[in-house]
Amino acid sequence: MKRALVACFVTVVCVVTLAFLALPIVAIFAHTTPGHLIDQLSNPVVRDALVVSLKTSLIAQALIVCFGTPTAYLLATRRFFGHSVAITLVELPLVLPPAVAGIALLAAFGRLGLFGSTLDALGLTLPFTQTAVTIAVAYVASPLYIRQAIAAFEATDPNLTAASRTLGAGPTRTFFRVVLPLARGGLIAGLALSFARGLGEFGATIMFAGSLQRVTQTLPLAIYAEFDRNFNATLAMSGVLVLLSVALLLGLRIGLTWQRSPSKRSLYLFGPSPSG
Amino acid sequence: MRPTACIVLALTLAICVVAGQASARPNAQITVYAAASLTDVFPKIDPSQRYQFGGSNTLAAQITQGAPADVFASANMALPTQLFSKGLCSKPVVFTRNTLVVVVPKANPAKIRSIYNLTKPGVKLVIAGSGVPVGSYTLQILKNMNLSGSVLKNVVSRETDVREVLAKVALGEADAGFVYSTDAKTVSGKVTVIKVPAWAQPKVQYGICVVTKSGDKADAQAFVKKVLSKAGQARMLQYGFLPAKKKKR
Repeated sequence: MKRALVACFVTVVCVVTLAFLALPIVAIFAHTTPGHLIDQLSNPVVRDALVVSLKTSLIAQALIVCFGTPTAYLLATRRFFGHSVAITLVELPLVLPPAVAGIALLAAFGRLGLFGSTLDALGLTLPFTQTAVTIAVAYVASPLYIRQAIAAFEATDPNLTAASRTLGAGPTRTFFRVVLPLARGGLIAGLALSFARGLGEFGATIMFAGSLQRVTQTLPLAIYAEFDRNFNATLAMSGVLVLLSVALLLGLRIGLTWQRSPSKRSLYLFGPSPSG
Repeated sequence: MRPTACIVLALTLAICVVAGQASARPNAQITVYAAASLTDVFPKIDPSQRYQFGGSNTLAAQITQGAPADVFASANMALPTQLFSKGLCSKPVVFTRNTLVVVVPKANPAKIRSIYNLTKPGVKLVIAGSGVPVGSYTLQILKNMNLSGSVLKNVVSRETDVREVLAKVALGEADAGFVYSTDAKTVSGKVTVIKVPAWAQPKVQYGICVVTKSGDKADAQAFVKKVLSKAGQARMLQYGFLPAKKKKR
C-alpha cells in the first residue's frame, strides 16, 4: 500500500517535471503555425540573423575543433606540471556568467583593452565586428567541446594505441587511424553541445560585438531586439532555435551511441571474451 | 520511508516558496517600469519603490505581455499612448522633457568636433535601436539635419537602451553615440559632449501612466503625483531634465 503510494508520488513528480520543461517549448509552437514560421523566414531581420548566426557559429566551431582537439589530446594523455590548472582554465568559461565573459573579452581585446594597442598597430579593431561575434561564441562554447574531447580521448583503450605503435605506425598515423576513430563519437557529441551553446550565445556577444542587423545581430540578439516590435518574428526565430537545438541533441545522442560501440568492440578484441 | 518523507517535505516546501513568491507583494511597495534615462533620478525622488529600468519599448512590450508593473514612465508619449489605447494603462501625462547630445570618449580617437564630423568614413557610431525612443529621436535629428544616409552608414551597433549606448562610448569602444543630455552628465569625466543644434532637436516628452492591472492603484497614483509635485520636478531639474511644460516667453 505504502509502496504504491510512493510509486504514485514519484510518477506525479516526474510528470510535473516533464511538463514544466516541455510546456514553454510547446507554447512557442502553439503561438505560431508552421505557415507563419515559414513566412517569417522571408522577413529580412530573421533571415539576416539566421545567416549571421550560422556563419559565426560554423567558423567558431571550425576553430574550436582545430585548436581544441590537439589541446584535449595533450591534456588527456600527458600529465605535466600545471595540468590541473590547465583543466580548470579550460572549464572556466563554462561557469563564467556570459556578461562577465563579455566584459572580460572587452578588457582583453577591446580598443582600450590589454591587447587593444597591439591589435590597433596591426590595423585590427575587434569590437562591433563579425570577428568579435565569432570570438565570443568560440570563447563561451569551446569548453563544452574540449571537456567532452578530453573524456573521449581518456576513454580510448591505451592498449590499442600501443598495439598500433608496436605494429610500426608513427604517432601521427596512430592518432588519425586509431585514436580519432575511437574517440569520434565523443568528439561529435562535444561538437553538438558546443554548437548549441554557441548558437544561444547572448550576453558576451551583445557586450563585445554589439548588435547590428546583417553584421553582428545573431538570432538571440534579434529575438531580444524584435521582442517589442514583432512578436511573431521572435516566435519564429525562437522556433528555429528550438528546432536547431533538437537536431543538435539528436546528433549528440547519435554521437554518444557511436562512441559506445567501438569500445565494446575493443572489449571483444582484447579483453577477456564474455564466452570465456 | 524516512528519506522519502524528507523528499516529500522538501518538494512541498519548494512549491510553497515558489507559489508564495509569485503572489506575495511587500506591502505598499510598487513596481515602477521606467526608461533607462531615469535610472539615476527616480530613486532620488522616491527611494522606497522597486524599479525596473530599460528601453521604454522593451518595458511596454513586457507590460503588454502582463508584467507586474504598477507605473510606466516612458521616454516618449507614443508608447504609453499606445498602451492607453489598448486599455492597458491610464491616460499618460507629460512629466518631463529632455534633449539629445552626441557624446565622444574623452580621448576622442576619431577627432569629432561637431555633429557633421560623424559623416567621416570609419567613425564607429553607436545609436539605440529604432524601436527605442532615443533611437527614433536620433533618426529624427539626422533627418532634420539631412545627414541620415551619410551618418547611418557609420553605425556599428544598435543598442537596446540609451545607457548601453552611453556605456559603449564611455568605455572608449565606440567613437561617438547619441544620448540624452541627462545621461551624458552621469559620466561627465569619461565623455565629452557635443551639442545638437536646437533647431534639429526633436520633441522629447516623457509620459507617465498607471498600469490598469496594477494591484495597488492608490500607491501608483501617489507615485505619479510625487513625480509631478514641486519637489519631484525640482529633483528632475537638478538632474538636468527640463520642466514638463515649456516656459512661456
